[in-house]
Amino acid sequence: MSWEDYEHDMQRCTRCSYCKYIPWRNIKNFDFYEGCPSAARYHWHAFAAGGKFNLGYSLLKGKIEIDDTFLDVLYKCNMDGSCDIACKVNQDIEPLQHMQELRIKCVEEGQLHPVHMLVIEGLRKQDNMMMADKADRGKWAEGLDVKDLSREKGEVLFHAGCRYSFDQELWPVARAGLSILRKAGVDLGIMAADESCCGGRAYELGYAGELTKYCEHQIEVWRNSDIKTVVTPCADCYACFSVLYDKIGKKPAIEVMHITQYLDKLIREGKLRLKNSLPMKVTYHDPCHLGRLAEPWVHWNGREYKPDGTLLWVHDPPKKYRRGTFGIYDPPRNVLKSIPGLDFVEMFRIREYGWCCGAGGGVIDAFPDFAIWTGSQRLREAKEVGAEAIVSACPWCKRVFMDAAAETGDNIKVLDILELIEQSL
Amino acid sequence: MTEKELVEIVGRENVLDNPEILNEYAGDYRFTPPKTPVCIVQPANIIELKGIIKWANEKSVPLVPVSSGAPHFRGDTVPAVEGAVIVDLRRMNKIIRIDPSNRVAIVEPGVTFGELQTELAGSGMSAYLPLSPRSSKSVLASVLEREPVTMPGIHFDSTDPMLCAEIVFGTGDSMRTGEAAGPDTLEEQWEIGKAQMSPFGPTQMDPQRLVSGAQGTIGILTWMSIKVRHLSAQSRAFLIPCDILESLIELSYKLTRIRFTGNIFILNGLNLACLLKHTPEEIRDSGKKLPPWVMFVSCEGYGLLPEEKVQYLEADLKDLAESYGVKVETAAGDIEADEVADLLTVPSPDPYWKQRLKGGFSELFFLTTQGKTVEFTKIMDEIAGQLGYPAGHTGVYIQPVAQGTSCHCEFDFYYDPASQEVAEKTREIIAEAADKMEAMGAFFSRPYSEWVDVAYRRSQDTAHMQKKVKGVFDPNSILNPGQLCFR
Amino acid sequence: MALTNKEYKALEDIVGQEYITREPVIMESYNQVWGNKLAFGDKRHNPPAAVLLPGTVEEIQEIVRYCNKAGILFKPSARAFEYVATKLSCDRGILLELKRFNRILEIDEKNQHAVVEPFVTVCQLQNEAGRLGFYTGKPGVGYSASIISLACCHQEMTISQLYTSGYGRNVLGAEWVLPTGDILNLGTGGREGGWFSGDGPGFSLRGILRGRAGANGGNGVITKCSVKLYPWYSDSPMDQKMKRESGEALSATRLAAVPDNYRAVVLTFPTTEQMMKAATEIGQSEIACIVAPSYLVTSVGQEGNDEQWAAMQNAPPQDPTKVGRSVPVFVNGHSARELAYREKAVMSVMEKWEGNLDPEYNDPEVLAQMFQYQMWSTGVGGLRGTGDFMVSIQGADGSTDMHLNYRPVEFDAFKPFSERGGIVQPSMGMSYRPMEHFALGSSGGIGTGYDPWDENSLAAAREYMNMVYDSNSPFRRFSYSNRGAMMQVEEIEHVHERWGPIYDNADLWLQKVRNMLDPNRVADWSGYIPPEYDKK
Repeated sequence: MSWEDYEHDMQRCTRCSYCKYIPWRNIKNFDFYEGCPSAARYHWHAFAAGGKFNLGYSLLKGKIEIDDTFLDVLYKCNMDGSCDIACKVNQDIEPLQHMQELRIKCVEEGQLHPVHMLVIEGLRKQDNMMMADKADRGKWAEGLDVKDLSREKGEVLFHAGCRYSFDQELWPVARAGLSILRKAGVDLGIMAADESCCGGRAYELGYAGELTKYCEHQIEVWRNSDIKTVVTPCADCYACFSVLYDKIGKKPAIEVMHITQYLDKLIREGKLRLKNSLPMKVTYHDPCHLGRLAEPWVHWNGREYKPDGTLLWVHDPPKKYRRGTFGIYDPPRNVLKSIPGLDFVEMFRIREYGWCCGAGGGVIDAFPDFAIWTGSQRLREAKEVGAEAIVSACPWCKRVFMDAAAETGDNIKVLDILELIEQSL
Repeated sequence: MTEKELVEIVGRENVLDNPEILNEYAGDYRFTPPKTPVCIVQPANIIELKGIIKWANEKSVPLVPVSSGAPHFRGDTVPAVEGAVIVDLRRMNKIIRIDPSNRVAIVEPGVTFGELQTELAGSGMSAYLPLSPRSSKSVLASVLEREPVTMPGIHFDSTDPMLCAEIVFGTGDSMRTGEAAGPDTLEEQWEIGKAQMSPFGPTQMDPQRLVSGAQGTIGILTWMSIKVRHLSAQSRAFLIPCDILESLIELSYKLTRIRFTGNIFILNGLNLACLLKHTPEEIRDSGKKLPPWVMFVSCEGYGLLPEEKVQYLEADLKDLAESYGVKVETAAGDIEADEVADLLTVPSPDPYWKQRLKGGFSELFFLTTQGKTVEFTKIMDEIAGQLGYPAGHTGVYIQPVAQGTSCHCEFDFYYDPASQEVAEKTREIIAEAADKMEAMGAFFSRPYSEWVDVAYRRSQDTAHMQKKVKGVFDPNSILNPGQLCFR
Repeated sequence: MALTNKEYKALEDIVGQEYITREPVIMESYNQVWGNKLAFGDKRHNPPAAVLLPGTVEEIQEIVRYCNKAGILFKPSARAFEYVATKLSCDRGILLELKRFNRILEIDEKNQHAVVEPFVTVCQLQNEAGRLGFYTGKPGVGYSASIISLACCHQEMTISQLYTSGYGRNVLGAEWVLPTGDILNLGTGGREGGWFSGDGPGFSLRGILRGRAGANGGNGVITKCSVKLYPWYSDSPMDQKMKRESGEALSATRLAAVPDNYRAVVLTFPTTEQMMKAATEIGQSEIACIVAPSYLVTSVGQEGNDEQWAAMQNAPPQDPTKVGRSVPVFVNGHSARELAYREKAVMSVMEKWEGNLDPEYNDPEVLAQMFQYQMWSTGVGGLRGTGDFMVSIQGADGSTDMHLNYRPVEFDAFKPFSERGGIVQPSMGMSYRPMEHFALGSSGGIGTGYDPWDENSLAAAREYMNMVYDSNSPFRRFSYSNRGAMMQVEEIEHVHERWGPIYDNADLWLQKVRNMLDPNRVADWSGYIPPEYDKK
C-alpha cells in the first residue's frame, strides 16, 4: 500500500492520543506511562502517530507541503511501534505502516535527511549501516576458529549483523553468543566478510529499494548454500529476516531464529546447562524488533466494506491486524529465569508495550541526543524497579543504554542475555 | 407615593405602613442599628412580584425580601440602607406539590418547616432539616441560606437539598432553573412525568447557584423544589459522650467517609441542654450532668429491609465507636437519644431553643474541615478567657457537610439582650473570634453583618466578580443593597 | 497572516521559544478530531494561528492579557479529544495546550478531595487515589479525559454518578484565570486551610463557571481544581489481578474477578417498566454504586471489527428486548455486614418485580468485565466501527416516569432513520445514568453510530441532528440543557438561539454572563455561546 491508500485510516484517527501512552489498562506506574518517545520528548501533537495521520491527511489534501518541519517530525521517531500497539487496543487502523509509507514517499521524492544520506551511502558502498569498511566485517570473530559458510558447508548460519560486526565494544557479546552455541554442540558458521546488511534499518529510514536489494541478496546466498537455519543475536536482523522479507513477498525458505529462541530451545532440550549462580537483580528490556515488531507479517489482499445494516468497517477476506500479540516475549524471559540465583523483576512497560531503547528509525544516527534521552528514561525505569542490571537481547539496545549510562553517570549494569548465559555456563 | 403605586400592584391590604409594624421589620437581633423601611409589601404571586420589582427599578427603591417570620437574627432580612421596601413573601405560602415517588417537594417562600413536615408526614416523608429550625423559619429561605442539614451522608453539594427554582431577577425577568425550565407550565411538565428534580442549567450556567447564599441580592424566588426523603420505618438513636472532642471528630471522619446514612452531628453539653430543655434552670441543671461533648448518630431504616438495615448500622456503629475509644449510649446525662431524635423532624418548639437560656443569642459560624474544629474550639475558649466572656454561655455545634469534605462549625453566644455590657462583650468576642479564626483558615462562606468584612478579606476577587454578576442580574442594584459585598 | 510577527514575538517572549510554534505542519495536528466531518464538513477545521505550552499560571495570565490587548482569540486545551477542545471560531486564534500542568498536587485523605492540574486524567486519579482508598467517577469519554475538563469545562456524565454525582457537583474549589487575565479563586481555592469549598463567600461563582455543561474553554482557563473523592474498598485498579490468555490481544486484558467488598449482578425483568421501577427502588435506597439501566457494556469486546462481525454472525439468536429489560447493579460494603445487607436488599427488589439472574449476563467473567468497564476509566469502544459516533445529543434529565414517557418520543423520532438506514442506535433502549441515588433523577443518553465518510450516512446523521436541535421537534418539551451535550458549535447549529427563547431566554442571560466575563471577546466561544448572534 502507498501512503495515499491510508486515507481512510487518516480519516478515522480520532485524536484520542492513546498512541502517546502505553495501553491505559496496563499502566502500573504513572511516572512510566508514556509509550511514544517522540511524543514524550517533543512538545507537539505532530510528533505522535496520531499527529502524523493528521499530517498525512493535510498533505493529501494539499494543505501542507513536505518541508523541514515535516521531515523533522517524521524522522524524530524510532519507528518502534508503541503507538501502533496502543492505538490498536481500540482501533483498526495502521499508524506504523502509515508512517513507514510516508518515509518511503519522502525518500522517493528526494526529501532526505542529510545524516541518513551518509549512512545509506555507506550502506551502498560497504554493505553495512555503520559507515565502516566492508573488509573488516568478520573481524569480531577472529581467533574463534569458526566455519566460514561463504566457503564451507554448514546448516546453521550465525548472522552477527552490522552493529555487532563493527562496534568493537560489543564484540565480546557476539563472540559469547557464538561460543555458547558451539558449546551446546551446534554446528554453525558465519559469513565473515561476506556477511551483508539485512536491509531492515535502511527500510525503516524509507529506503525501500535497499531492503529489496539486500533481501534478494540474502535469499540468493541462502538458496545457494546448505543453510537451513539462520540464528542472529540482533533483534533488528531477526525482525527484518522474519517479518520484513515476508512483507515484501520474499519470505525466507529457511528457518530464522533469534538467539534467545535458540537458547530457550537448547535449555529445554537439556543441551545447555546453566550451572553457575548469578545472584543479581535484573530486569529485561524487550527490544522492539524482537517484541512487537517481530510479530509475523500478515498478508492480506482484499477490500474493506460495511455489511448491510451495520456501521462496522470490515474486510473481505477478514484481516487479522497485527497488534503485537505474537512477538517474541517469553523465550528471553525463559532463558533468564533458567539462570540460577538470578532475581528477575519486570519493569512497568513490557512486552507489547515496552519502551523503546531509542536506537531505531534512524534516530541513533540523526538525533543521537534523542536516542540517549530515550535510553536514559529506560535506565531510570530499570532502577525504579530495583534492578542492578538491565538486560536486553539486541546490540542496538545495549549500545544506546551504555551511552546513556555514560552520559548520565548511571551505575546500572547494561548487559545482554548472552553475557549472563556465558557467566552461568 | 410609594405606597399608592404599590397598592395598585398588590392591593391595599397588602401594603403595610403602620409604624409599629415597620419597627418590627427594621431591625433584628444583630448589633447593627435598625433602619426603618418605607413600607412592607406582600405579593401573592409572581405577577405581583414582577410588578414590584419593575416599579423598584423605575423608582430606584431598594427591596429587601423576607420569607421567614420573626424573630430574625442574621441581618440579611432587615434593611441595610435607608428608604427600603420590605418584600414579605409570606402570602406565597403554598406547598405546590409533594411527589413521594420522586422524593421531591415544591414550596413557595412562605412555607415553614412545621407546615411542610405536617404535609409530608401524610405521605410518610420528611424534609432534610437543619438542626431544630425556629417555627417561623421558611423552608425555602433556610435552603437558600445553605443552612446545613443534619444528614451529611447524602449532602452531596452545598446547594443541597435545593433542586430547581423559579427566580425573578433584579431586572424583573424571571427564569425557571434546571429541569423546570421550558415552554410548559409546571402542570404540563407533570403530565409528561417531569418532576423538577434535575438542577442543572439551563445549559452552560447554573443560575440556582447564583441565588443560593445570595441573601436576596440577585433574585427573589417564587418557589423551589427540594429533595425530601422517606421517613424511616425503623430507626435507632444514639448519643456518644466524650470528654475530648478529637475522638468524636475521628469517628465523624470515619462515618462520613463511609457515607453512613443517618443524622450525625456534635454538640457541646451546653447546646445539647439548650436543645432539649426549656427553662434556664433546666438547661443549667442538665448541662452539669452532661459531658463536654456529645455526638448524636441515628441509624435510619428507610428504604429496603429497614429492620435489617438498622441492625447492621447499629452493629457497625458500635464497632467503629469502640475502635476510636468511645462508646455508643442511648442516653447522656439526663437526655435520652430518642428525645433528640424526636426533635429532628420538627421545628423547634417555641421559644426557639437558642433563646431559652438567656433570651438573646448571637451566632458565629463558618466552614472548615472536621479536624480543625478542635483547634477552633480551643481558640474560642482562649479568646473568651482573654475577654472575660462569661463561662458556660457559649454553645458549640459541629455539623459535617458535603459528605464530610467540610464542616459547619458554629458558636452560639447566649446573653441577656437587656444587658448592654454583656451584649457589647458578645459583639467583641464575635469580632475577635472571626478575625482570628479567619486567619487560621475558617471560611466564612455565609457572610452576615458581623463578619462580612472578615469573610471577604481574602476573597476580594470573589467580591469583584460578584459585583459584576450583580451588574448582570440586578443592574440597578435594587435587591437588598448593602448585603454581602454590595456596600 | 493570522498573527503578525510582532504578535508572535510578544507571545514567544512570554513562554520562551521552545514552547510556541506556528509551523503550518504542526498546526495541522491541532485541527483534526473525530466529529469534525459532521460538524464542519471535513476532517480538518481551521488550524490555530499558533499553539503555546505555558508552564506557569503567570504565563497564562500574561498570554491572556496580551490577547486582550492585541485582539487575539485564545482557547485552553488539555487532552483535546473532542473538537470543542481544538476548534477556534476564527483564524486569528491560539491554543494553549496545558500539557505542562500535569500534577496531582494533593490528595487530602482526611477531607476526601484531590487538587489537580488540567492535564491530570481520570485514569491517573482513579489509580493513584485508588491506592489510598478513594474513587473518582468513571466518565464515558475514556481514559484520557482530564479531570478539570470534565468537572469544570465540559460535561461530566459518569456511569457511577448514582453515588459519585457529576456535572460539576464535585468541585470544591478552583483557580480560574478569567478571560481578562485576572485570577479568581473559587471558594477556598488556593488557601492554606485547604481546598474544601468552592462556594462563596456569599453566592457561588460556580454558577457562572458551568451548568449542565461547561464553557469548553470559552470562559478562561482553570489551572487548578479540587474535586471530591468517594470511598473505595478495594485495591487500586492498577493493582487488581488482571488476566489475559496466551494468544489474546492486549485488548483482552481483563479483570479476573469482581473485587472483594463488591458484588455485581445483572437483573432482568419481564418488562422495561418493571426494570425501571426496580432500578429506581434500588437506587433510591442509597445502597448501590452502580445502577445502570440497559447499560450492559463490558470492558472486553472483540479484538477488532472483523472479529466483531464474525461474532455477530455466529451469535445465537438474541432476544432484542432483553437489554432494555436488564440492569446491572453493583454494591459495595465497608464491612461484611454492610455488603451482606446490600446484597440481600437488591435480591429482595429483584423478587418483588419478578426479575431473575439471567445466566448469560451473570457469568462471573462477564460480571467482572462489566465491573471493569462501568467502574473504571476505559477506552471509547464506540469509535472503532467507523471512526466516529454521535455522542448523545438528545438526552433529557429527570425522573424515571419522564424517561419512560420520553422513550417512545425517542424511538418514534428515530424510526424513519432506522428504516432508511445509514445511522444506527445500537442500544435497545436509552441508557439512563441515575444521579445521587435518583434524587436528581437520571440523565438519559443514547449514542448514535454513523459513518462520516459515507455520504448517505452523513446526510442521515445531519438530518437527524437538525431534527434534534429543532426547538419545534417532539423533543421541545423535554430539555434544552442536553441539546448537543454541549458539543454543538453555535454558529453552525444555533442551538442556543433556537431554544433559549422558549426557555425563559436563558441564552440571553448566558450571553450577558459571557460578555461580562470577557468584555474584549477574546475567549473562544465555539463550544460556548457567541458574544452576539449572527444577524444574517
